[in-house]
Parts: sequence; structure tokens; C-alpha cells
Amino acid sequence: MKRILVPGHGFLNSADQREIMAFARNGATRRDVLRGLVAAGIGAGVAGTVLSSVTRAYAETPKKGGTLRVAGGVSSNADTLDPAVFGNSTDYSRGFMFYNGLTTLDSKLAAQPGLASSWDHDGTSKVWTFKLRDDVRFHDGKGFSAQDAVYSLLRHKDPNVGSKANVISGQIESARAASPTELEITLVAGNADLPVLLGTPHFLIIQDGQTDFAKPVGTGPYKVEEFTPGVRSLAVRNEDYWKDGQPYLDAIEFFGLSEENARLNALLSGDVQLTTTINPRSIPQLEANPDMRLFETKGGTYTDMIMRQDSQPTGNADFVLGMKYLMNRQLVRNSVFREYAVIANDHPIDPTNPFFAADLPQRPYDPEKAKFHFEKAGVLGTTIPMVVSETARASIEIGTIMQQDAADLGLNIELQRVPIDGYWSNYWMKVPLGFGTLTPRPTADMMLSLLYKSDAAWNEAGWKNEKFDQLLLAARVEADFDKRRQMYADMQYLIHEFGGTAIPTFYSNLDAHHASLKGLVPIPTGNMMGYNFAEHVWLEA
Amino acid sequence: MSIAVENQVSRRYLPRLTVLGWIGVSIVLLWAVVAVFAPWLAPHRPGRIVDMNGVFGPISGTFPFGTDYMGRDMLSRVIDGARYTVGVSIAATMLASFAGTTLGLFAAVAGGWADNILSRIMDSIISLPSTIFALVIIAGLGSTVPVLIGVAAFLYTPGIYRVARAASVNVVVMDFIEVARARGEGMGYLMLREVLPNMMPPVLTDFGVRFIYIMLLISGLGFLGLGVQPPNADWGTLVYENLAGLGLGAPAVFLPAICIVSLALAVNLIVDSFSDLSKAGSSEL
Amino acid sequence: MDGLIIRLIAQRIGLTIIILFIVATLVFFTTSVLPGDAAQAILGQYATQETVDGLRQTLGLDRPIPVRYVEWLGGMLTGDAGNSLVNKLPVFEIIGSRMPNTLFLGALTAAIAVPLALFLGVSAAIWRGSIYDRLTSTLAVLGMSTPEFFVATLAVLIFSVQLGWLPALANLNTAQDFWGVLRVLAMPIAILSFVVVAQMARMTRAALLSAMQSSYVEMATLKGASRLRIVLRHAFPNALGPILNSAALALNSLLSGVIFVEIIFNYPGVAKLMVDAVSTRDLPLVQACAMIFCAGYLLLVTVADVAAILANPRLRTGGAK
Repeated sequence: MKRILVPGHGFLNSADQREIMAFARNGATRRDVLRGLVAAGIGAGVAGTVLSSVTRAYAETPKKGGTLRVAGGVSSNADTLDPAVFGNSTDYSRGFMFYNGLTTLDSKLAAQPGLASSWDHDGTSKVWTFKLRDDVRFHDGKGFSAQDAVYSLLRHKDPNVGSKANVISGQIESARAASPTELEITLVAGNADLPVLLGTPHFLIIQDGQTDFAKPVGTGPYKVEEFTPGVRSLAVRNEDYWKDGQPYLDAIEFFGLSEENARLNALLSGDVQLTTTINPRSIPQLEANPDMRLFETKGGTYTDMIMRQDSQPTGNADFVLGMKYLMNRQLVRNSVFREYAVIANDHPIDPTNPFFAADLPQRPYDPEKAKFHFEKAGVLGTTIPMVVSETARASIEIGTIMQQDAADLGLNIELQRVPIDGYWSNYWMKVPLGFGTLTPRPTADMMLSLLYKSDAAWNEAGWKNEKFDQLLLAARVEADFDKRRQMYADMQYLIHEFGGTAIPTFYSNLDAHHASLKGLVPIPTGNMMGYNFAEHVWLEA
Repeated sequence: MSIAVENQVSRRYLPRLTVLGWIGVSIVLLWAVVAVFAPWLAPHRPGRIVDMNGVFGPISGTFPFGTDYMGRDMLSRVIDGARYTVGVSIAATMLASFAGTTLGLFAAVAGGWADNILSRIMDSIISLPSTIFALVIIAGLGSTVPVLIGVAAFLYTPGIYRVARAASVNVVVMDFIEVARARGEGMGYLMLREVLPNMMPPVLTDFGVRFIYIMLLISGLGFLGLGVQPPNADWGTLVYENLAGLGLGAPAVFLPAICIVSLALAVNLIVDSFSDLSKAGSSEL
Repeated sequence: MDGLIIRLIAQRIGLTIIILFIVATLVFFTTSVLPGDAAQAILGQYATQETVDGLRQTLGLDRPIPVRYVEWLGGMLTGDAGNSLVNKLPVFEIIGSRMPNTLFLGALTAAIAVPLALFLGVSAAIWRGSIYDRLTSTLAVLGMSTPEFFVATLAVLIFSVQLGWLPALANLNTAQDFWGVLRVLAMPIAILSFVVVAQMARMTRAALLSAMQSSYVEMATLKGASRLRIVLRHAFPNALGPILNSAALALNSLLSGVIFVEIIFNYPGVAKLMVDAVSTRDLPLVQACAMIFCAGYLLLVTVADVAAILANPRLRTGGAK
């Protein structure tokens, strides 16, 4: 029997292995196995890794050929193949078909070699050198060199490109081709996470000088055969792909279907073999069909309630605490996410993160305490508008639950559902009481710097805390792991206790596929293997 | 000739309804009563989760209409939804019918440039797909009940206008109108006493059709995420938010759909029996 | 008489241009006051002020609205609708790739729905008051009043998921031949027809019955003509005006219904394109779509009016005075 290495847990003993293998053979769904593993005390992220090794060990070698049809979750005339302006899961999924990153992220969100075969830094993580592969060709036959990477990285800094990575790329001071196979990046300040950053979709590598993305050439596993924004893309196998034997499929047809029932029905009827963003309320329908598989990716995605600190009464500390105590997390988990979520503790670090503060007491659902704080804040008997939208996932349901409980105490919350379009630019972070949806960043530092630092661009609640800022900066340069963990624990406590956000749960990303589709492994940056399924999956006949 | 004219005028006032018409009236009244007394009739608060684990619950003694996708009582939600569906649809249809018929009648009787200008303005409104136009307006103004009524009425006025005008134009060229004009009757008299009674059947049928369309528009807006504000929901939104239960045969999706159909049928039963009787002379009933 | 029709058509063309102008202006300023613009829509959740400003400049959105309007109008007059703000493709090219799909679906639906509706409406009028009449009218109401998204999803569940007869998506790329196309489009057509048939049949019946009250039809009745003859020879020409009008309306409402069909069956038509364009605030695209819808509808109406004049002797003489 193959020995299975579980990172951080050593080797599973053979009894464990036998049980898991038996479990897998008996046709248990992924979810059963995952639950079994999680119940056995193995962290969710790790469980995913174990399971995929189990599947690998037991399962067949990849088969070549076949056309895969995929229904993504969104689609519009804004669909694009320009990595800089990628806006959603549909764009990301296509990006990983046609391009490569310098690095790729594995299921632990660590950087693995991509177009860069290795990298190193000057010791302060300020100046980085990436050794690039010399055997990579673009779809038009041109060879890949460091100049392509330089162009791809630096265009994010041009405000006229309108890059979504413009802010993040601000940390790059310069990039240059030291030689055709050597890329040198100088950062404004040290950042040990640069390789991780370069594995995200916006930093995919395009050809030097490319400005037209109607039918672009990349280095990726598939070539663009057809692309019509808002309609579909057809990707065909890149026969000269630099990864041996990959990709496995002949072609992938990808289109976005925004209506979730239509998406699921297309899967159930066999029109597509893979679809994404399954609403938990549809799971019973999926489970009733023996040919279908639910694919769960646990991670740190969450929807939070935002109480702006610069408005009243949402800036009132007692109001904030009252709302936190009024949040019935168990009910949200059961009724909204159908248990595909873990309960959160009003801070953005999820339990799979190594810096998760496990000993911070869980905030209970306590209407009595909530009432006490509301009385102190003097909000009982008043009406407060709460903005919700379909695009902030489950915010309508969470808002409804809050509203019902608040009504019992005599606080009148008036729900205002606003349209999806324009939500992020006009309501998010602007209305006193609203919701946001956040996808996890690979590291705790990125998460906290982007979302909670006093001067952060996306400081959702406009929360300012000097002590927190000092801790954040100190933790970046702290070498001692235990000390660093204590600092992160302190920061989580500060957000938990004083921050203007209430976080009910971290929920799983759910996809579904036909049993004949193999090779999927959860990568917690998002759905469908962190959108990077294209070169990894194959179809069994 | 003039005898026929007199007959047509007097028939308009017939208050009788057929049996089917009465059935229609009672259904509409029932829903109206439900709508008015909704807060007292609903056994639970419509937004309250009453069943922690039983999502898409079946019909049972505790929950006669089952539970919805979050475990809320469907009976209470349907009762509450009646206020929006019945209220908004009827208000918008009445408003649109009144405006459309009046303008159509006026255009037909007045003729000439007044007719032309009105017709072109109506054409501009009608030429835009109603769902998409509603989407734009509601996105700008927010989905409150008055906005929904206003938008629906606004979008359906031109349709009613066209039908009313077309029906009136056919009447206006008839001899008895020429006679009345020759008598020197005023515009108002012509519109109300001579033309209106004779164009009623298509306009009434149209009322029924428009009612359905407005109901459909409102429920379609639910599908596009622009229906009434949560936790309340009109019936169309109820159908949509529970659509995932369709494959499971959940009552939560079928019952609101049945309610929509029942109301539409009832309104059209009334309308049918009304137009049947308004031309009673040659009726085979 | 011919002179009248030519005059009417000439008049209509002139008016069409005026209406198009009104609609364009209306749509431009309505969408302009919607919260948010294309730059914000493109950048989405993680926009910053600098990137929004930069993109606005690139897209030319930093200039005042009236200036952009005049520019757009100028482009329109020279036959250039501009480029999409969000994907930079020429607007006409985008619409050109979608329009045939919508027209094709619409034409197939009309080809099936209009004759069927006329048949049902006329036969219901002939056998007025019979069980048949009641049944068709009830079914019509039933068909119309059930929300399209419900019917469509139910149909997909039954015919695709359970029975496996028809595909759940209207993916024309999977169709090999004409029959394949029909198979793919069967459900969308059926669902669109539902509403069109129901509305038109009811209006046809009502218009016929109304026309039958007119004095000359009563005269024909007195002369002892058969009911079939009365309905077809005497009432029908008279009722043609309202019928054609309702047909124009029904076909126009098809454009509203088609949005649900396009979303649920993932059919790449113009309605979904326009909804997308509204939500991404892609003004040139919204404008062009609106103009095309508008022109199409005006064409339908003009045809209906001309046909009504040709069919009704009273309108001909009455109008010629």
C-alpha cells in the first residue's frame, strides 16, 4: 500500500489508510470522505489533500481525449481574455486555459513552479530573481522569454490599462529581464509572499506588446479557437504544451450561465459535465442522482455584515456589539448554507489558516446581551436601513435572519435589496449598514492589510485602530513563529471585539460534476480548483 | 339603424354576471380579503424561520403549505404575498387601463395631429422591451411598491392605448357617429356615450390580458432580483426563490404558481362573462 | 387609395426617424443617471479612485454627458455606432453576431404561433359559448399567467432531466442539421409561443365578436348567412385592424419574454445582450439595441396599420376624406 503523506500531520497509519481507501471504494461521495476525515480531527484543508492522494492512488491514470462542456456562474459582454481586467470566475477559468502564471498555487496555497522553474531573493525579500523555463512557446510559435514577463507585470501599473491588480502591483518598483531566462523584480518593500501573488489570475503571462485580446496567444494548455464575450469560448488542446502529457482533453467549451437552476439542470441533463457555484438549497436534487458528484472546496470565503464606523448609529460601539451578539450563526449555517460552512468568530482568519486564533472564545448568539447593548446605544424603537444584494452572497438571507431577531427586541431593521449591478461601486463600503463578500487571500498578512489596516483601500467598515496597525507591521518582520502567532491572535481579538464587521460563517465553494470527470482537487482560492481545472482534469469514457 | 344604436347604449349597464363570472368574482374577493387581512391571517411572521432543519418541507398539519428554502412557513408567505401581487397588479392594471383607454378614445375621436402625436409617443414607449425598460427604471429608483405600480402602469398604458384606439377607430367611422357629429355633439359626449360602449369588448378582454401581463412583469422582476423588498415577496418571487425545489416536488414552488394562475383565471372569468353579456342580444348562452 | 398608403408610409418613415431620436435621447439620459458608470462596472469590487479615473479617461467617460451624446449622435448619422465600452468591439459587430439568433428564434416562433393563434381565435369566435370556446380561453389564460421562468424550468426538468428527449440548453453548436436545430430550439419556441398564442387568440376572438355587432354583420345575419361565412367574410375584415395590432403587440411582447428564454436556455440573443449592456453601463451598446428594438417595432406597427387600411373599406374611404 502506498504511504500517504499528510503535510503537518506526518504519515497516516495504515489502519487509517485502509479505512479511507475502503471508504473511497465503497462509492462514498467526496463529501462523505471529507466529513469522515474532518470528524477524525484532520483539518479541512489537509483532508482535501489526503483525499486527493487517495483518489490518485486508487484511481486510474488520466485518459486523453474528449470534449468537456463547462457552465460557469457568470457571463456578460464584459467577458475578457485580458488578465489585467479579469473580473470574475468566468474570466479566471478562461485565463488558466490560455495562459500560465510564473507560479501556480497548490492546495495549501503555496507557490509551485510555473513558467518560473525556481526563484530566490536577496534575503530581505525585496529583490527577487526568477529563473524562467527556456522550453516554453507561445501558441504562435514564438519562444517565451523574460521580456514577456516584464511586459505582463508592468502593465498593471499603468492606470489607463484599468488593471484590477493596480493597487497590488504598486509594491513592484521595477522589473527587468536580466537575461532571456532571468527575471529580476524589485519591490518597494520586502514581501515574502511575492511568489504566491504571482500565481493569481491577474498576473498570468501574456506576450510582450499584446494589446488586442480578441484572440490572444498565450503559453497555456489550450489555444483560443473561438471567443465571444457573453456567449462562449472554445479552447482546443495545445499540442506543444510544455507540461509532458498535459492537457488531457481535446477541447473545452465554456459558457457562463447566471441562472443557478438552469446551470444545475444543464448538468443533470448531460448538457455539461461540470458546473459551478451550486446553491446549497439545490444539493438534495444533486444527491438524488447517482451519476453526479458534489465538489466541495473549503476555505476562507465569507460574507460579512459591515457597520461603518464613520456613521451613526453603526459607529456606536454598543450597536456593533449588539449586532454581533444578535447574529445567529448556527441558524445561518443550517438554514442558509445547509451545513456547508463553518462558524466564524467576527474576524477574517479561517480555521485552516496556521495563524487562526483557536483559543479566542466563540461569540455566542445572545439576544439578551444584544438587547442590553442596543439599549445602551439607544437604538431600540428606531428604524435602521440595511442594504442587501444578490451579489453579496447570501446577504439577503442573513439580513432577513437578523431582521427577524431584531424585530423581537424592538429594533426595526428595514431591508433594502439593491440591484447586482453597481452594488460594489455604489453601496459596498458606502452605506452605513450593508454586506460584503470576501474571497480569501493566500496569507493572513494580505488579508489583514487589504481589509483591516486603518489606511487599507478596502477597509470595509472604515475601522481605525492604531494598536492593530502596529501589530500588523511588527508581525510582518517577526521571525519567531510563536511570537508571530501571538501577534496575529491579538489582531484577531481586536477585530473580533472592536471591528465594524460581523462575520457569521466561512462557507465552502461548491461545484458539481458528472462522475466521468476526474482529476479535480480543491484549491481554496475559489471554485473549480481555484479556477485552474483545465489542465488537470480528464474524462473517463 | 338608430334602434340598434339605442340598444347598444343601454346594454352597457347590464349588471348581471354569468355563473362563471360569479366564480371569478368570489375568487378575486377571496384574495382581496386575504390581502387586506394578511397580517391577522398569517399563522407565522412571513420572514421568520420556523423550521430549523426542514427546508422545502412537505404539506403537513403544522405547515399546510409546506416550508420554503430557508424553512419559513409557506402559508404565511403566500398570504403576505397576496398583498403585493393582488395589490400591485390590480392597481397598476386599473391605472394603465384608465389612462390607456381615455387616451386611445380621445385620439380616435379627435383624430388628426392629436392622434398622430399621441400615437407616436406611445409607440416610443412600447417599442422598448418592457422587462428591460422596467429593469432600467427600477435600478434607478429602487424597488418600492409605488415604483412597481408606476412602472407597470407606465409600460402597459401604450398597449391598452393602441387596442382602445384601434377599436374606437373602427367605431368612429360608423354611421351613427357621423349622425351624432352632425347633431353637433361635443367631444366628451361622443367619447363616452357613443364610442365607449361600442368598443368595450376588446378593451375589456384586453383588461384581462393586461392584468396577466402586469402580474407576469412583476413576477419576472422577481426573477431578475427587482421584486418587492425582502423578507416580503410577491407570488412570482416566491416561485422564483423556491425554484430549486421544483425537482423535489416541493409545495413551496407549486403553490404560489397555482395562486398566480387562480387569480389570473378569476379576473379573466369576470372579464369574459362581462363581455359576453354586454352584447347579450345575440348571445347564445 | 394607393396614394393614401404611399402617403402613410412616407409619413411613417419620417415619424420613425423622429421617434428613434426621442428614444435615443430618452435612453441615453436615463441610463446616464443610473448609479455607476462603465469604468466602475468594469473594475468591480476592488476598484480604487485612481484606477476608476484612469479607466474613465481611457474610455472617454471623463467628458460631460451632453458632449458624449452629441458625439454619439454624430457617429450614428454617419452610420457608426461606436465601440462597446467594456469589450472594445464595434457595436454593430456585437449586435450583428447576436441579432440573427434572436430573429431566427422570433421568426420560427411567429411562424408557428401566429397561424395557430388565428385559428384558435377564429374557431373560438365561430363556436362562441361552446365547451371548445371555454376550454381554449381557459387554457390560454393558464398558459399566459404562469411565469415563463417557471414553465421553462419545469419543461427542462421534464423533457431534459427526466426524459432526456431534448437538450437543456439551446446550444446551436451541438446541432448538426436543420432537425438538430429544431430539436435544440423546440423548448424555447414552445415557451415563447405560449404567451404569443394565448394573447393573440384571445384578442382575435374578442375583436371578431366586437365586429359582429356592427350593423352590416347584423344585416347579413338577417339575410340568413351561415355563421362561418359571417365570421370570415363580414366580421374578419372589419376586425383585422385590432387583430393585427394585437399581433404586433404580441410579437413585441415576445421580446420581453425572450429575455427569460435566453437566460434559462443560454441562447445568445439580443435581449440578454441588452440586459448585460445595461448592467455594465455600456451606453453605446444599450443605445444601439434600443434603436433596433424601436425600429423593428415601428416596422411591425406600420405593416399592421397598412394592412388594416387595405382590409377595411370604411377606413379607406373615411381616411381619404
